[in-house]
Amino acid sequence: MSLAESAGAGQPVPAIEGVGISRAFGGVRAVQDASFAALAGEVHALVGENGAGKSTLIKILGGRIRPDAGQVRVRGAAVLLNSPHDAHRLGAWTVFQELTLLPAMTVAENLLLGREPRGRLGLIDRRAMERDGEAMLAGLGIHHIDPLALVQDLPLAERQIVEIVRAITQDPSILFLDEPTSSLMEREVAWLFGQIRRLRAAGTAIVFTSHRWNEIVSIADRITVCRGGTNVGTFTEIGEDEAVTLMTGRRVGSQYPPRPPAPAGETALAVRNLSGEGVHDVSLELRKGEILGIGGLAGHGHRELFFMLFGAQQPTGGEIRLDGKPVRIASPRAAVRTGSGIALVPEDRKTEGLLLAMSVRDNMSLTILSRIASVGVIRQATEQRLCRGIMEMLKVRAAGLASPVGALSGGNQQKVLLGRWLLADCRTLLLYDVTRGVDAATKHEIYELMTRLAGEGRSIMFYSSDAEELAHQAHRVLVLREGRIAAELDGTGLTAEDIVAAAMRDRAA
Amino acid sequence: MARTDAPAARLPVLTRERRRILYACAAAVVLFLVGNVVRPGFASPASISAILVVASFVGMVAAGQTFVILIGGIDLSVPWVLNAAAILLATSSLGQDGRAAYALVLTLGMGAVVGLANGLAIALLGVPAVVMTLAMNGIMEGLTLGLSGGLTCASCASYAPPVVQAAIHGSLLGIPTALLLWLGVLLVVSVLLSLTVFGRSTYAIGNNARASFLAGVNVKAMTVALYMLSGFFSALAGVMLVGFGGQASLGMGDPYLFQSIAAVVIGGVYILGGRGHYVGAAAGAVTLVALVSVLLAMNMPEYGRSIIYGVIILVLLLLYGREEGEA
Amino acid sequence: MAAPQAIATRRPRLAHAMLQSAPLLLSLAMLAASIVVYCAIYLASQHRLPGGFELTSTVNNTMPLAMAAVGQSFVVLTRGIDLSVGGIIDLTNAVAAVAIHDSPASMVGWSLAILAIGALLGLVNGLLVAVGRLQPILVTLATLSIFQGIAIRVLPQPGGAIPDAYGAVLANVDAPISLIYVALLVLGWRVFRRTRLGVSIFAIGNDEPAAAANGIDVRRTKIAAYVLSGTFSAAAGLFLAAAATAGDATTGNSYTLTSIVAIVLGGVSLFGGRGSAVGGIAGAFVTSMIVNILFFSHIDPLYQNFYEGLFLVLAVTAAAGIGHYFRRRA
Repeated sequence: MSLAESAGAGQPVPAIEGVGISRAFGGVRAVQDASFAALAGEVHALVGENGAGKSTLIKILGGRIRPDAGQVRVRGAAVLLNSPHDAHRLGAWTVFQELTLLPAMTVAENLLLGREPRGRLGLIDRRAMERDGEAMLAGLGIHHIDPLALVQDLPLAERQIVEIVRAITQDPSILFLDEPTSSLMEREVAWLFGQIRRLRAAGTAIVFTSHRWNEIVSIADRITVCRGGTNVGTFTEIGEDEAVTLMTGRRVGSQYPPRPPAPAGETALAVRNLSGEGVHDVSLELRKGEILGIGGLAGHGHRELFFMLFGAQQPTGGEIRLDGKPVRIASPRAAVRTGSGIALVPEDRKTEGLLLAMSVRDNMSLTILSRIASVGVIRQATEQRLCRGIMEMLKVRAAGLASPVGALSGGNQQKVLLGRWLLADCRTLLLYDVTRGVDAATKHEIYELMTRLAGEGRSIMFYSSDAEELAHQAHRVLVLREGRIAAELDGTGLTAEDIVAAAMRDRAA
Repeated sequence: MARTDAPAARLPVLTRERRRILYACAAAVVLFLVGNVVRPGFASPASISAILVVASFVGMVAAGQTFVILIGGIDLSVPWVLNAAAILLATSSLGQDGRAAYALVLTLGMGAVVGLANGLAIALLGVPAVVMTLAMNGIMEGLTLGLSGGLTCASCASYAPPVVQAAIHGSLLGIPTALLLWLGVLLVVSVLLSLTVFGRSTYAIGNNARASFLAGVNVKAMTVALYMLSGFFSALAGVMLVGFGGQASLGMGDPYLFQSIAAVVIGGVYILGGRGHYVGAAAGAVTLVALVSVLLAMNMPEYGRSIIYGVIILVLLLLYGREEGEA
Repeated sequence: MAAPQAIATRRPRLAHAMLQSAPLLLSLAMLAASIVVYCAIYLASQHRLPGGFELTSTVNNTMPLAMAAVGQSFVVLTRGIDLSVGGIIDLTNAVAAVAIHDSPASMVGWSLAILAIGALLGLVNGLLVAVGRLQPILVTLATLSIFQGIAIRVLPQPGGAIPDAYGAVLANVDAPISLIYVALLVLGWRVFRRTRLGVSIFAIGNDEPAAAANGIDVRRTKIAAYVLSGTFSAAAGLFLAAAATAGDATTGNSYTLTSIVAIVLGGVSLFGGRGSAVGGIAGAFVTSMIVNILFFSHIDPLYQNFYEGLFLVLAVTAAAGIGHYFRRRA
């Protein structure tokens, strides 16, 4: 693979460049007259809020979608990318935010898709494929992923790693990584950054996006800030506050709101010896007005624990008490109706939370329909009024209650989901990674909302893949490891490092 | 404060769904006009009324089909549930008015129970809808044939009770009762879909069943209920058909699978669920039956009708598909 | 590397293979069980074990369905469905009855031509689905109607004459030479799995956008799947013609549904990307065995569909249950 090099003595020719790129989806401009260039041998971070156009820009440069206007140049030559395949031929590979692994195929099949080793008669040699797949993983220092396992059986973090390995092993001269770290824990991030540095040294142009500022500054040579579908500047050095100001177009104060005083109130939710698939012997108490953080490495039973408390998965043993009374939560429907009401904002809002083609109103009122209906007929005026109230309270930015939720930005979609449970007046909120893939400004609003809800005496159980966030937001943090509570940490003076250390203890061996 | 009513982003009144309903209605009108050219008198009130009565049978089945397609399902058991219902009504009533009420309850109940079985297997056991309803069609066919000895049983020659026949053939204020019944169903189903918790939940499940479950919608109960409705409407169509024709026959349900799905699709209901309305499916049923009548009026042989049927559906699909691309 | 997880104990290759092809193994077990039951019932009623004649007739009777099931597999693996299978069988069967004459050239020439017709009909489906971006279930429902209509136009009444020699090759009544075709189908499938098209079909059935992002040509792959389905349906039409030594423009109608039944029994997922045509073939044979079992159990043939339907539901439910159990233990 030839590397892009300086043309003559003057300006280096960018490895890949987008000039005046525009792209709209159904009338909404995702990218507008954006220009962006990445040089060979640099790590270039794209930062911006959700909806700023980063992912769309990457998809265009990666050949996934075509621009409405503008030009893509690779090593100085204008190119037409009709498919990812075209980009691959030019040495440009992408790790998309939504993973592109094939679930019912093995890790090895995925790694070697499109470059399968051939045997006799040009047929695919399956043994060689397994061998090559294993070698690829081992060559990058990964020994814990079985090349014969089906991708669907891997936890999210491992899938992300396989996706990254697949791109890296193509010897890319240009590599796009869209939110590669969102599901990775710190050690995996460290591994990834090691690979990025290696590729940079070999002359690869690397473009990556992340919502975690410390990651960006630790690896990026240059930073391009996007806002409203266009780039507002490229910097070699920029502080977080300045970047956030540029991203949002306004100044945001401290990222985290002050924590309300730790409540001494009564227990809202008590769990004793809860066990089931992925969860072992978990006991915990959640007080009224408390924000209880749940931390730990991805895939260690958090999701299962949340689902059990919400009735979406059944425990095999143990006891759940709500307001002192033992309850059996048979389904989410039961959870919502139980005593003071349990709500879950799930991990993936698009597949588990929202009805994308339906309106903001339909999405918000879904859970309370039977409460606002007489003889089964929905009282439209009541519904309209209630939804409007929540929409204004949460500052949901949408054209109206009737606009389809799928057209909103990620942060606003998350607000609609939160609104659903506030409308249902649930007093116990299980929030699962609600700030994942949400822009800084909306994140801040969500933190403030959490603080306010806790202040009102609601109980919040909050899982986050971002330890920083837990350290700042939670009164207490429980760290799960292999489905068990490995540590209980007090929130005062807690740092992200403490949480990570607790999650990894005994792991170094 | 969020701007919640920016005028520029106001949604169009004529949504894609509504446009399609209009198309289906317009197509029916055009077909009546064409028919009138081919054979004068085709668009006379009497002729229109006769065509609408035939359409009402398709419309009944399509009502059930709409419910299950709205949640991304499908009911392939329509033909033999309908056929079994027709035979059951005749054999259980023995053509006597005195037994008519009992026979009606039994027959419609049978339809609902078959739907219940479909729904339970789909919702609780996770059998794919295509497989379950396909198997159920076979089960009902085998049961019907076996129990009636291939329609040779002693009571198999029975007619539908005269009350039922009279009811289907009768008219009120000059409107055939079959049509009035259909209008009633149209009204009830429309209200159910548009204004009730039941309807909203149906659309929600069709949009995203997992998210609906996690929002507290009782997806399983809804699924079972919707398949029960489909079974009920198939049986109701069987009752109407045997009332209309007097006697039951083997294979009388066969055309209704294709026609019910076609009517639903012509009416703009999205086959993967979540979008569409019964009004469209009803208009689709009229369009379909009008088309068949026009072709019959043109003395089109069966094979020709079969081909044109298919072509029309493809053309409509391509037109709708084009529209999808625009949006 | 800083691997966060402890090194998981690797599962041996065989365990992987067993687990990952559990549905296929289940369908083969089901086939074995149905053969055992059949033999037992046959023995009870005929006082001897089924012999060569039974084998030959079973294989001959099953070939059309096996062909249709293989064709259906290609499409279902792409997460589509081909309801026009029956129509393609009707039409190709009708053309065979009208066209094939008693000369080797005519037999070979027309056989190839008829397979080409099947491919062409499949191409129509494929273009409508892949280029027209329409739902497979609707497209093939519509083309089913069209193909059935054309078939009746070609052969309004059952009839025509298929040369005996043709029957002797495709559906020989004296020796189970059709087993050769079964072996060829299985072999062909194993080869196909190791081709780029094979990988692509599985990939788009797994996750279409992801496959596209990996540089797989979704359109071309889908079209190919429907063309293959059409071709195999045409082969089914030829086998039917050979077995009946005549044509019937409605003979294929039942195959739309039974081909789906066969692949479901064969463990092919209707949600695409998982399964094997070999399972479809096994499923076809299971279906035949059920018919045989019912026959020798002296069950009124009128109830045949009842038992078939019941068996289908039970098999699917049991398979789902067993699969779930194994996944849990794994």
